[in-house]
Amino acid sequence: MEELLSVKYDIESGDFIRGGEASSNLKKLLNQLGIRSDIIKRICVACYEAEMNIVIHSVGGYIEAKIYSDHIEIIAYDYGPGIPNIELAMQEGYSTASDIAREMGFGGGMGLPNIKRSSDEFYIKSEVGKYTEIKIIIYFN
Amino acid sequence: MKKLFHAVGLIPEKCIGCTKCLMNCPVEAIRVKNGKAVIYNEKCIDCGECIKVCPYGAHVAIRNSLEDITRYKKKIVIPSVTLYSQFGKQVEPAAINEALLKLGFDEVFDITFACDIASEILKKDIEKAEKPAISTLCPTVIRLVETEYPSLVNHLVKMLTPIEISALLTREKYQSQGYKNEEIGIFFLTPCPSWVTKISEISRNENIRINGAISISDIYPKLLKHIKSKNNESNSHISKTGLLWAYSGGQCEAIGVENSISVDGIKNVIKVLSDVENGRLDDIDYIEVLACPNGCAGGLLLVENPYNAERITKSIIDKLDFTYQIHDFSHIESKLVSDEGKKEVKYKVPVDFESAVKMIKSMNNIINILPGTDCGLCGSPSCKAFAEDVVKGLASIEDCKFISSGGFKNEG
Repeated sequence: MEELLSVKYDIESGDFIRGGEASSNLKKLLNQLGIRSDIIKRICVACYEAEMNIVIHSVGGYIEAKIYSDHIEIIAYDYGPGIPNIELAMQEGYSTASDIAREMGFGGGMGLPNIKRSSDEFYIKSEVGKYTEIKIIIYFN
Repeated sequence: MKKLFHAVGLIPEKCIGCTKCLMNCPVEAIRVKNGKAVIYNEKCIDCGECIKVCPYGAHVAIRNSLEDITRYKKKIVIPSVTLYSQFGKQVEPAAINEALLKLGFDEVFDITFACDIASEILKKDIEKAEKPAISTLCPTVIRLVETEYPSLVNHLVKMLTPIEISALLTREKYQSQGYKNEEIGIFFLTPCPSWVTKISEISRNENIRINGAISISDIYPKLLKHIKSKNNESNSHISKTGLLWAYSGGQCEAIGVENSISVDGIKNVIKVLSDVENGRLDDIDYIEVLACPNGCAGGLLLVENPYNAERITKSIIDKLDFTYQIHDFSHIESKLVSDEGKKEVKYKVPVDFESAVKMIKSMNNIINILPGTDCGLCGSPSCKAFAEDVVKGLASIEDCKFISSGGFKNEG
Protein backbone atom coordinates (compact mmCIF):
# COMPACT_ATOMS: atom_id res chain seq x y z
CA MET A 1 0.00 0.00 0.00
CA GLU A 2 1.21 3.47 -0.86
CA GLU A 3 2.39 5.74 1.89
CA LEU A 4 0.54 9.05 1.54
CA LEU A 5 2.27 11.23 4.06
CA SER A 6 4.95 10.94 6.66
CA VAL A 7 6.28 13.08 9.48
CA LYS A 8 9.32 12.63 11.66
CA TYR A 9 9.98 14.20 15.05
CA ASP A 10 13.34 14.08 16.82
CA ILE A 11 13.02 13.38 20.52
CA GLU A 12 15.63 14.49 23.02
CA SER A 13 16.49 12.45 26.07
CA GLY A 14 15.53 13.97 29.41
CA ASP A 15 13.58 16.87 27.89
CA PHE A 16 10.40 16.77 29.97
CA ILE A 17 9.51 20.32 29.03
CA ARG A 18 9.19 19.68 25.31
CA GLY A 19 8.25 16.02 25.73
CA GLY A 20 4.74 15.61 24.37
CA GLU A 21 5.21 17.99 21.45
CA ALA A 22 5.45 15.21 18.88
CA SER A 23 2.12 13.72 19.88
CA SER A 24 0.48 17.11 20.04
CA ASN A 25 1.75 18.00 16.54
CA LEU A 26 0.66 14.63 15.23
CA LYS A 27 -2.78 15.20 16.73
CA LYS A 28 -3.16 18.50 14.86
CA LEU A 29 -2.23 16.77 11.62
CA LEU A 30 -4.75 13.97 12.18
CA ASN A 31 -7.46 16.52 12.97
CA GLN A 32 -6.74 18.24 9.67
CA LEU A 33 -7.07 14.90 7.93
CA GLY A 34 -10.51 14.44 9.46
CA ILE A 35 -9.65 11.19 11.28
CA ARG A 36 -12.37 10.04 13.69
CA SER A 37 -11.88 11.56 17.13
CA ASP A 38 -11.93 8.28 19.08
CA ILE A 39 -9.19 6.95 16.80
CA ILE A 40 -7.19 10.15 17.32
CA LYS A 41 -7.42 9.67 21.08
CA ARG A 42 -5.93 6.16 20.80
CA ILE A 43 -3.16 7.43 18.53
CA CYS A 44 -2.47 10.29 20.99
CA VAL A 45 -2.15 7.94 23.95
CA ALA A 46 0.13 5.52 22.11
CA CYS A 47 2.30 8.23 20.60
CA TYR A 48 2.60 10.16 23.86
CA GLU A 49 3.64 7.08 25.85
CA ALA A 50 6.17 6.12 23.19
CA GLU A 51 7.50 9.67 23.12
CA MET A 52 7.88 9.81 26.90
CA ASN A 53 9.58 6.40 26.88
CA ILE A 54 12.27 7.91 24.68
CA VAL A 55 12.52 10.99 26.92
CA ILE A 56 12.77 8.96 30.13
CA HIS A 57 14.72 5.83 29.25
CA SER A 58 16.85 6.42 26.18
CA VAL A 59 19.70 8.60 25.02
CA GLY A 60 17.44 10.12 22.36
CA GLY A 61 15.65 9.03 19.23
CA TYR A 62 12.79 9.85 16.94
CA ILE A 63 9.14 9.20 16.21
CA GLU A 64 8.06 8.67 12.67
CA ALA A 65 4.43 8.53 11.62
CA LYS A 66 3.48 7.15 8.23
CA ILE A 67 -0.03 7.69 7.05
CA TYR A 68 -1.75 5.31 4.65
CA SER A 69 -5.27 5.47 3.31
CA ASP A 70 -6.69 3.19 6.01
CA HIS A 71 -4.15 3.20 8.84
CA ILE A 72 -1.27 4.95 10.55
CA GLU A 73 2.07 3.33 11.30
CA ILE A 74 4.12 4.84 14.10
CA ILE A 75 7.73 3.96 14.63
CA ALA A 76 9.39 5.00 17.86
CA TYR A 77 13.12 4.43 17.59
CA ASP A 78 15.76 5.23 20.18
CA TYR A 79 19.52 4.80 20.37
CA GLY A 80 19.87 2.71 23.49
CA PRO A 81 20.19 1.44 26.17
CA GLY A 82 17.85 -1.29 24.91
CA ILE A 83 15.60 -3.63 26.86
CA PRO A 84 17.24 -6.80 28.26
CA ASN A 85 13.98 -8.67 28.88
CA ILE A 86 11.11 -7.54 26.68
CA GLU A 87 8.62 -9.98 28.20
CA LEU A 88 9.27 -8.48 31.63
CA ALA A 89 9.05 -4.91 30.30
CA MET A 90 5.65 -5.66 28.84
CA GLN A 91 4.24 -6.56 32.25
CA GLU A 92 2.01 -3.93 33.86
CA GLY A 93 3.73 -2.18 36.75
CA TYR A 94 7.24 -3.21 35.77
CA SER A 95 9.48 -0.17 35.51
CA THR A 96 13.13 0.80 35.43
CA ALA A 97 12.44 4.53 35.64
CA SER A 98 14.44 6.72 38.00
CA ASP A 99 12.93 7.99 41.25
CA ILE A 100 12.78 11.53 39.83
CA ALA A 101 10.79 10.39 36.81
CA ARG A 102 8.41 8.47 39.06
CA GLU A 103 7.89 11.46 41.29
CA MET A 104 6.78 13.37 38.24
CA GLY A 105 4.15 10.72 37.59
CA PHE A 106 6.07 8.94 34.87
CA GLY A 107 7.57 5.49 34.93
CA GLY A 108 4.60 3.75 36.52
CA GLY A 109 5.33 0.71 34.44
CA MET A 110 2.27 1.21 32.26
CA GLY A 111 4.00 2.71 29.21
CA LEU A 112 4.46 -0.32 27.00
CA PRO A 113 1.22 -2.05 28.08
CA ASN A 114 -0.68 1.18 27.36
CA ILE A 115 0.86 1.52 23.93
CA LYS A 116 -0.04 -2.06 23.13
CA ARG A 117 -3.59 -1.64 24.42
CA SER A 118 -4.14 1.48 22.32
CA SER A 119 -2.91 -0.06 19.08
CA ASP A 120 -4.23 -2.65 16.65
CA GLU A 121 -0.83 -4.14 15.92
CA PHE A 122 2.23 -3.85 18.13
CA TYR A 123 5.82 -4.90 17.42
CA ILE A 124 8.90 -4.36 19.52
CA LYS A 125 12.52 -5.23 19.03
CA SER A 126 15.56 -4.23 20.97
CA GLU A 127 19.23 -4.89 21.39
CA VAL A 128 20.93 -4.13 24.69
CA GLY A 129 23.34 -1.22 24.39
CA LYS A 130 22.10 -0.36 20.91
CA TYR A 131 18.47 0.46 20.27
CA THR A 132 14.79 -0.12 20.91
CA GLU A 133 12.25 0.06 18.11
CA ILE A 134 8.51 0.01 18.61
CA LYS A 135 6.22 -0.21 15.63
CA ILE A 136 2.49 0.16 16.01
CA ILE A 137 -0.39 0.20 13.59
CA ILE A 138 -3.78 1.77 14.21
CA TYR A 139 -6.57 1.47 11.65
CA PHE A 140 -8.83 4.41 10.86
CA ASN A 141 -12.05 2.41 10.69
CA MET B 1 -27.35 24.87 9.53
CA LYS B 2 -27.94 27.35 12.31
CA LYS B 3 -26.19 30.68 12.12
CA LEU B 4 -23.41 31.03 14.64
CA PHE B 5 -23.86 33.93 17.00
CA HIS B 6 -20.87 35.18 18.95
CA ALA B 7 -20.85 37.68 21.77
CA VAL B 8 -17.34 38.76 20.91
CA GLY B 9 -17.55 41.27 18.10
CA LEU B 10 -15.51 43.95 16.37
CA ILE B 11 -16.05 47.66 15.72
CA PRO B 12 -14.20 48.05 12.38
CA GLU B 13 -13.91 51.84 12.71
CA LYS B 14 -11.81 51.43 15.85
CA CYS B 15 -9.57 48.65 14.49
CA ILE B 16 -6.27 49.87 13.04
CA GLY B 17 -5.17 46.41 11.90
CA CYS B 18 -2.40 45.77 14.42
CA THR B 19 -1.44 42.20 15.32
CA LYS B 20 -2.32 42.17 19.05
CA CYS B 21 -5.51 40.12 18.85
CA LEU B 22 -4.11 38.04 16.02
CA MET B 23 -1.17 36.91 18.15
CA ASN B 24 -3.10 36.44 21.39
CA CYS B 25 -6.09 34.44 20.21
CA PRO B 26 -5.56 30.99 21.80
CA VAL B 27 -7.36 29.18 18.96
CA GLU B 28 -6.05 31.23 16.01
CA ALA B 29 -9.55 32.41 15.11
CA ILE B 30 -8.50 35.91 14.05
CA ARG B 31 -7.02 37.19 10.80
CA VAL B 32 -6.28 40.73 9.66
CA LYS B 33 -7.79 41.38 6.24
CA ASN B 34 -7.49 44.71 4.43
CA GLY B 35 -6.23 46.37 7.56
CA LYS B 36 -9.05 45.17 9.84
CA ALA B 37 -9.37 42.21 12.20
CA VAL B 38 -11.76 39.46 11.15
CA ILE B 39 -13.02 36.83 13.61
CA TYR B 40 -13.69 33.40 12.15
CA ASN B 41 -16.93 32.45 13.86
CA GLU B 42 -16.56 28.71 13.50
CA LYS B 43 -13.26 28.81 15.41
CA CYS B 44 -14.06 31.52 18.01
CA ILE B 45 -14.65 30.16 21.52
CA ASP B 46 -15.76 33.49 23.08
CA CYS B 47 -12.93 33.54 25.62
CA GLY B 48 -12.58 37.31 25.27
CA GLU B 49 -8.75 37.37 25.10
CA CYS B 50 -8.99 39.72 22.09
CA ILE B 51 -11.13 42.14 24.10
CA LYS B 52 -8.52 42.12 26.87
CA VAL B 53 -5.52 42.79 24.62
CA CYS B 54 -6.99 45.28 22.12
CA PRO B 55 -5.45 48.70 22.87
CA TYR B 56 -8.07 50.51 20.75
CA GLY B 57 -11.28 49.09 22.20
CA ALA B 58 -12.15 47.59 18.83
CA HIS B 59 -13.09 44.17 20.19
CA VAL B 60 -16.28 44.30 22.24
CA ALA B 61 -18.64 42.05 24.12
CA ILE B 62 -22.17 42.28 22.74
CA ARG B 63 -24.81 42.29 25.50
CA ASN B 64 -28.22 43.58 26.50
CA SER B 65 -28.86 46.91 28.17
CA LEU B 66 -30.98 47.48 31.25
CA GLU B 67 -33.63 49.18 29.10
CA ASP B 68 -34.34 45.82 27.42
CA ILE B 69 -36.13 44.55 30.52
CA THR B 70 -39.01 47.04 30.07
CA ARG B 71 -40.40 44.93 27.24
CA TYR B 72 -41.63 42.34 29.72
CA LYS B 73 -44.49 42.37 32.19
CA LYS B 74 -42.64 40.27 34.75
CA LYS B 75 -38.92 41.03 35.03
CA ILE B 76 -36.71 38.50 36.80
CA VAL B 77 -32.96 38.78 37.25
CA ILE B 78 -30.60 35.86 37.78
CA PRO B 79 -27.34 37.29 39.11
CA SER B 80 -24.13 35.38 38.60
CA VAL B 81 -22.75 34.33 42.00
CA THR B 82 -19.74 36.51 41.22
CA LEU B 83 -21.89 39.64 41.67
CA TYR B 84 -21.70 39.35 45.45
CA SER B 85 -17.91 39.73 45.44
CA GLN B 86 -17.90 43.08 43.65
CA PHE B 87 -18.73 45.50 46.45
CA GLY B 88 -16.25 44.69 49.19
CA LYS B 89 -16.80 42.41 52.17
CA GLN B 90 -18.94 44.83 54.16
CA VAL B 91 -21.81 44.81 51.68
CA GLU B 92 -23.84 41.71 52.17
CA PRO B 93 -25.76 39.88 49.43
CA ALA B 94 -29.18 40.96 50.74
CA ALA B 95 -28.26 44.62 50.25
CA ILE B 96 -27.14 43.92 46.69
CA ASN B 97 -30.36 42.08 45.92
CA GLU B 98 -32.39 44.99 47.30
CA ALA B 99 -30.51 47.38 45.04
CA LEU B 100 -31.30 45.13 42.06
CA LEU B 101 -35.01 45.47 42.77
CA LYS B 102 -34.64 49.25 42.74
CA LEU B 103 -33.27 49.02 39.20
CA GLY B 104 -36.65 47.77 38.03
CA PHE B 105 -36.61 44.01 38.52
CA ASP B 106 -39.62 42.31 40.14
CA GLU B 107 -37.65 39.41 41.51
CA VAL B 108 -34.04 38.44 42.15
CA PHE B 109 -33.80 34.71 41.74
CA ASP B 110 -31.44 33.15 44.28
CA ILE B 111 -28.88 31.47 42.06
CA THR B 112 -27.21 29.82 45.07
CA PHE B 113 -30.32 27.61 45.30
CA ALA B 114 -29.67 26.47 41.73
CA CYS B 115 -25.98 25.98 42.57
CA ASP B 116 -26.93 23.64 45.43
CA ILE B 117 -29.22 21.66 43.10
CA ALA B 118 -26.48 21.55 40.47
CA SER B 119 -24.02 20.25 43.06
CA GLU B 120 -26.31 17.34 43.91
CA ILE B 121 -26.86 16.47 40.25
CA LEU B 122 -23.16 16.85 39.53
CA LYS B 123 -22.26 14.28 42.20
CA LYS B 124 -24.21 11.70 40.22
CA ASP B 125 -23.23 12.89 36.75
CA ILE B 126 -19.52 12.66 37.43
CA GLU B 127 -20.00 8.90 37.73
CA LYS B 128 -21.66 8.71 34.31
CA ALA B 129 -19.06 10.58 32.25
CA GLU B 130 -15.82 9.12 30.98
CA LYS B 131 -12.94 9.62 33.44
CA PRO B 132 -11.79 12.26 34.10
CA ALA B 133 -15.16 14.02 33.97
CA ILE B 134 -14.90 17.62 32.74
CA SER B 135 -17.07 20.46 34.07
CA THR B 136 -19.48 22.29 31.76
CA LEU B 137 -20.09 25.50 33.70
CA CYS B 138 -17.88 27.51 31.36
CA PRO B 139 -19.32 27.84 27.84
CA THR B 140 -15.89 28.68 26.44
CA VAL B 141 -14.56 25.35 27.68
CA ILE B 142 -17.44 23.44 26.05
CA ARG B 143 -16.80 25.19 22.76
CA LEU B 144 -13.05 24.57 23.04
CA VAL B 145 -13.63 20.85 23.62
CA GLU B 146 -16.04 20.65 20.67
CA THR B 147 -13.78 22.45 18.23
CA GLU B 148 -10.25 21.49 19.30
CA TYR B 149 -10.66 18.37 21.47
CA PRO B 150 -13.62 16.49 19.96
CA SER B 151 -12.27 13.20 21.32
CA LEU B 152 -13.04 14.49 24.82
CA VAL B 153 -16.76 15.18 24.28
CA ASN B 154 -17.69 12.07 26.28
CA HIS B 155 -15.80 13.48 29.26
CA LEU B 156 -18.15 16.47 29.58
CA VAL B 157 -20.68 16.13 32.39
CA LYS B 158 -24.25 16.37 31.22
CA MET B 159 -25.75 18.45 34.01
CA LEU B 160 -27.39 21.77 33.33
CA THR B 161 -25.60 24.75 34.81
CA PRO B 162 -27.05 26.74 37.75
CA ILE B 163 -27.99 29.51 35.30
CA GLU B 164 -30.12 27.17 33.21
CA ILE B 165 -31.65 25.56 36.30
CA SER B 166 -32.56 29.03 37.60
CA ALA B 167 -34.21 29.93 34.29
CA LEU B 168 -36.19 26.70 34.25
CA LEU B 169 -37.51 27.10 37.79
CA THR B 170 -38.35 30.77 37.29
CA ARG B 171 -40.24 30.29 34.05
CA GLU B 172 -42.17 27.36 35.52
CA LYS B 173 -43.14 29.40 38.55
CA TYR B 174 -44.53 32.36 36.61
CA GLN B 175 -46.21 30.19 34.00
CA SER B 176 -48.04 28.38 36.79
CA GLN B 177 -49.15 31.78 38.08
CA GLY B 178 -50.81 32.40 34.72
CA TYR B 179 -48.23 34.56 32.98
CA LYS B 180 -47.83 34.02 29.25
CA ASN B 181 -44.39 32.95 28.09
CA GLU B 182 -43.77 36.23 26.25
CA GLU B 183 -44.66 38.24 29.35
CA ILE B 184 -41.87 36.67 31.38
CA GLY B 185 -38.50 38.37 30.96
CA ILE B 186 -35.58 36.50 32.52
CA PHE B 187 -32.20 38.23 32.49
CA PHE B 188 -28.82 36.91 33.51
CA LEU B 189 -26.27 39.26 35.07
CA THR B 190 -23.19 37.95 33.37
CA PRO B 191 -19.52 38.12 34.33
CA CYS B 192 -18.36 37.21 30.80
CA PRO B 193 -19.22 37.36 27.08
CA SER B 194 -19.22 33.59 26.68
CA TRP B 195 -22.46 33.41 28.67
CA VAL B 196 -24.04 35.92 26.30
CA THR B 197 -23.37 33.49 23.47
CA LYS B 198 -24.56 30.53 25.49
CA ILE B 199 -27.82 32.30 26.34
CA SER B 200 -28.51 32.94 22.69
CA GLU B 201 -27.93 29.23 22.05
CA ILE B 202 -30.11 27.89 24.84
CA SER B 203 -32.96 30.28 24.02
CA ARG B 204 -34.00 27.77 21.37
CA ASN B 205 -35.14 25.54 24.23
CA GLU B 206 -38.48 26.89 25.54
CA ASN B 207 -38.00 25.50 29.06
CA ILE B 208 -34.72 27.17 29.85
CA ARG B 209 -35.08 30.32 27.75
CA ILE B 210 -33.28 33.37 29.09
CA ASN B 211 -34.29 36.63 27.44
CA GLY B 212 -31.04 38.46 27.74
CA ALA B 213 -27.67 38.93 29.39
CA ILE B 214 -26.68 42.16 31.11
CA SER B 215 -23.05 42.87 31.92
CA ILE B 216 -22.23 43.25 35.61
CA SER B 217 -19.79 46.04 34.75
CA ASP B 218 -22.60 47.94 32.98
CA ILE B 219 -24.96 48.01 35.94
CA TYR B 220 -22.21 48.32 38.55
CA PRO B 221 -22.37 52.14 38.84
CA LYS B 222 -26.18 52.06 39.03
CA LEU B 223 -26.07 49.45 41.77
CA LEU B 224 -23.51 51.45 43.75
CA LYS B 225 -26.00 54.31 44.02
CA HIS B 226 -28.66 52.07 45.53
CA ILE B 227 -26.60 49.98 47.89
CA LYS B 228 -27.17 51.24 51.40
CA SER B 229 -26.73 48.95 54.33
CA LYS B 230 -23.28 48.54 55.79
CA ASN B 231 -22.11 46.60 58.82
CA ASN B 232 -25.62 45.34 59.46
CA GLU B 233 -26.17 41.96 60.96
CA SER B 234 -26.32 39.41 58.20
CA ASN B 235 -29.85 38.71 57.09
CA SER B 236 -28.89 37.31 53.74
CA HIS B 237 -30.72 34.12 53.06
CA ILE B 238 -28.41 32.70 50.45
CA SER B 239 -26.41 29.52 50.46
CA LYS B 240 -22.78 29.42 51.48
CA THR B 241 -22.12 26.31 49.40
CA GLY B 242 -23.78 27.99 46.42
CA LEU B 243 -21.48 31.00 46.68
CA LEU B 244 -18.47 28.70 46.34
CA TRP B 245 -19.18 28.46 42.61
CA ALA B 246 -17.82 32.01 42.20
CA TYR B 247 -14.13 31.14 41.97
CA SER B 248 -11.82 28.41 40.72
CA GLY B 249 -11.85 25.37 42.99
CA GLY B 250 -15.13 26.30 44.65
CA GLN B 251 -17.17 23.91 42.58
CA CYS B 252 -15.03 20.96 43.62
CA GLU B 253 -15.33 22.07 47.24
CA ALA B 254 -19.11 22.45 46.96
CA ILE B 255 -19.61 18.92 45.65
CA GLY B 256 -16.93 17.48 47.90
CA VAL B 257 -15.12 15.53 45.24
CA GLU B 258 -11.63 14.91 46.52
CA ASN B 259 -9.87 13.24 43.66
CA SER B 260 -10.16 16.32 41.48
CA ILE B 261 -8.24 19.26 40.08
CA SER B 262 -9.32 22.79 39.24
CA VAL B 263 -7.77 24.59 36.31
CA ASP B 264 -8.33 28.19 35.25
CA GLY B 265 -6.95 30.55 32.61
CA ILE B 266 -7.34 29.65 28.95
CA LYS B 267 -3.69 28.68 28.35
CA ASN B 268 -3.68 26.36 31.39
CA VAL B 269 -6.97 24.89 30.23
CA ILE B 270 -5.50 24.06 26.83
CA LYS B 271 -2.50 22.38 28.47
CA VAL B 272 -4.67 20.27 30.76
CA LEU B 273 -7.05 19.20 27.98
CA SER B 274 -4.03 18.05 25.95
CA ASP B 275 -2.86 16.02 28.93
CA VAL B 276 -6.31 14.43 29.21
CA GLU B 277 -6.18 13.58 25.53
CA ASN B 278 -2.78 11.94 25.97
CA GLY B 279 -4.23 9.78 28.73
CA ARG B 280 -2.07 11.35 31.44
CA LEU B 281 -4.93 12.25 33.78
CA ASP B 282 -7.06 9.11 33.60
CA ASP B 283 -6.87 8.52 37.37
CA ILE B 284 -8.61 11.81 38.20
CA ASP B 285 -12.38 11.78 38.84
CA TYR B 286 -13.29 15.36 38.04
CA ILE B 287 -11.67 18.40 36.47
CA GLU B 288 -13.18 21.80 37.10
CA VAL B 289 -12.21 23.73 33.99
CA LEU B 290 -12.74 27.49 33.73
CA ALA B 291 -11.38 29.74 31.00
CA CYS B 292 -10.81 32.92 33.02
CA PRO B 293 -8.08 33.51 35.62
CA ASN B 294 -9.39 32.24 38.99
CA GLY B 295 -12.57 31.03 37.31
CA CYS B 296 -15.72 33.11 36.95
CA ALA B 297 -14.31 35.67 39.40
CA GLY B 298 -11.89 36.58 36.60
CA GLY B 299 -14.68 37.27 34.11
CA LEU B 300 -14.05 40.07 31.67
CA LEU B 301 -17.24 41.95 32.59
CA LEU B 302 -16.46 42.19 36.32
CA VAL B 303 -14.98 45.10 38.22
CA GLU B 304 -13.12 43.55 41.17
CA ASN B 305 -9.71 41.90 40.84
CA PRO B 306 -10.34 38.12 40.58
CA TYR B 307 -8.14 37.21 43.54
CA ASN B 308 -9.54 39.88 45.80
CA ALA B 309 -13.01 38.75 44.68
CA GLU B 310 -12.18 35.31 46.05
CA ARG B 311 -11.15 36.79 49.39
CA ILE B 312 -14.36 38.81 49.57
CA THR B 313 -16.49 35.79 48.68
CA LYS B 314 -14.80 33.72 51.40
CA SER B 315 -15.43 36.44 53.93
CA ILE B 316 -19.12 36.56 52.99
CA ILE B 317 -19.31 32.76 53.17
CA ASP B 318 -17.85 32.87 56.68
CA LYS B 319 -20.72 35.05 57.85
CA LEU B 320 -23.39 32.80 56.37
CA ASP B 321 -24.66 29.71 58.09
CA PHE B 322 -27.16 28.51 55.55
CA THR B 323 -27.19 25.86 52.82
CA TYR B 324 -30.19 24.58 50.91
CA GLN B 325 -30.90 20.98 51.85
CA ILE B 326 -31.54 19.39 48.50
CA HIS B 327 -32.74 15.87 49.24
CA ASP B 328 -35.10 15.03 46.46
CA PHE B 329 -34.61 16.65 43.13
CA SER B 330 -36.00 13.80 41.05
CA HIS B 331 -39.13 15.76 40.14
CA ILE B 332 -37.04 18.30 38.28
CA GLU B 333 -34.13 16.12 37.33
CA SER B 334 -35.85 14.72 34.26
CA LYS B 335 -36.10 18.21 32.82
CA LEU B 336 -32.58 19.08 33.73
CA VAL B 337 -30.65 16.88 31.37
CA SER B 338 -28.44 18.93 29.14
CA ASP B 339 -28.16 18.07 25.46
CA GLU B 340 -24.53 19.17 25.54
CA GLY B 341 -22.94 15.74 25.40
CA LYS B 342 -25.54 14.29 23.08
CA LYS B 343 -24.52 16.50 20.21
CA GLU B 344 -22.75 14.82 17.36
CA VAL B 345 -19.12 15.81 17.31
CA LYS B 346 -19.14 18.83 15.05
CA TYR B 347 -15.53 18.79 14.00
CA LYS B 348 -15.52 17.55 10.43
CA VAL B 349 -13.13 18.37 7.67
CA PRO B 350 -15.23 19.18 4.61
CA VAL B 351 -13.00 17.22 2.25
CA ASP B 352 -12.35 13.54 1.69
CA PHE B 353 -9.21 11.89 2.97
CA GLU B 354 -7.30 11.96 -0.35
CA SER B 355 -7.78 15.69 -0.85
CA ALA B 356 -6.97 16.35 2.82
CA VAL B 357 -3.64 14.59 2.28
CA LYS B 358 -3.04 16.68 -0.85
CA MET B 359 -3.87 19.81 1.10
CA ILE B 360 -1.34 19.01 3.81
CA LYS B 361 1.33 18.23 1.22
CA SER B 362 0.85 21.60 -0.48
CA MET B 363 0.79 23.24 2.96
CA ASN B 364 4.17 21.69 3.75
CA ASN B 365 5.53 22.93 0.42
CA ILE B 366 4.42 26.46 1.26
CA ILE B 367 5.82 26.28 4.81
CA ASN B 368 9.20 25.42 3.32
CA ILE B 369 9.42 28.73 1.44
CA LEU B 370 8.13 30.89 4.30
CA PRO B 371 10.57 32.63 6.67
CA GLY B 372 9.16 30.98 9.82
CA THR B 373 9.34 34.22 11.78
CA ASP B 374 5.58 34.35 12.51
CA CYS B 375 5.63 38.12 12.05
CA GLY B 376 1.89 38.39 11.44
CA LEU B 377 2.22 41.01 8.69
CA CYS B 378 0.37 38.75 6.26
CA GLY B 379 -2.66 38.84 8.55
CA SER B 380 -2.37 35.23 9.77
CA PRO B 381 -1.11 34.43 13.28
CA SER B 382 1.80 32.22 12.18
CA CYS B 383 3.57 31.02 9.05
CA LYS B 384 1.94 27.64 9.54
CA ALA B 385 -1.53 29.14 9.83
CA PHE B 386 -0.77 31.29 6.77
CA ALA B 387 0.18 28.20 4.73
CA GLU B 388 -3.12 26.61 5.71
CA ASP B 389 -5.00 29.80 4.80
CA VAL B 390 -3.32 29.88 1.36
CA VAL B 391 -4.22 26.25 0.67
CA LYS B 392 -7.81 26.85 1.77
CA GLY B 393 -8.06 29.90 -0.48
CA LEU B 394 -8.37 32.34 2.42
CA ALA B 395 -5.10 34.12 1.69
CA SER B 396 -2.78 34.66 -1.24
CA ILE B 397 0.91 33.73 -1.12
CA GLU B 398 1.70 37.31 -2.13
CA ASP B 399 0.25 38.48 1.20
CA CYS B 400 3.55 37.36 2.73
CA LYS B 401 5.72 40.48 2.79
CA PHE B 402 8.81 38.30 2.74
CA ILE B 403 7.75 36.46 -0.43
CA SER B 404 6.46 39.57 -2.19
CA SER B 405 9.78 41.31 -1.61
CA GLY B 406 11.77 38.53 -3.22
CA GLY B 407 12.29 35.83 -0.55
CA PHE B 408 15.65 34.43 0.48
CA LYS B 409 18.66 35.74 -1.36
CA ASN B 410 20.64 32.81 -2.62
CA GLU B 411 23.68 32.68 -0.39
CA GLY B 412 25.25 30.04 -2.64
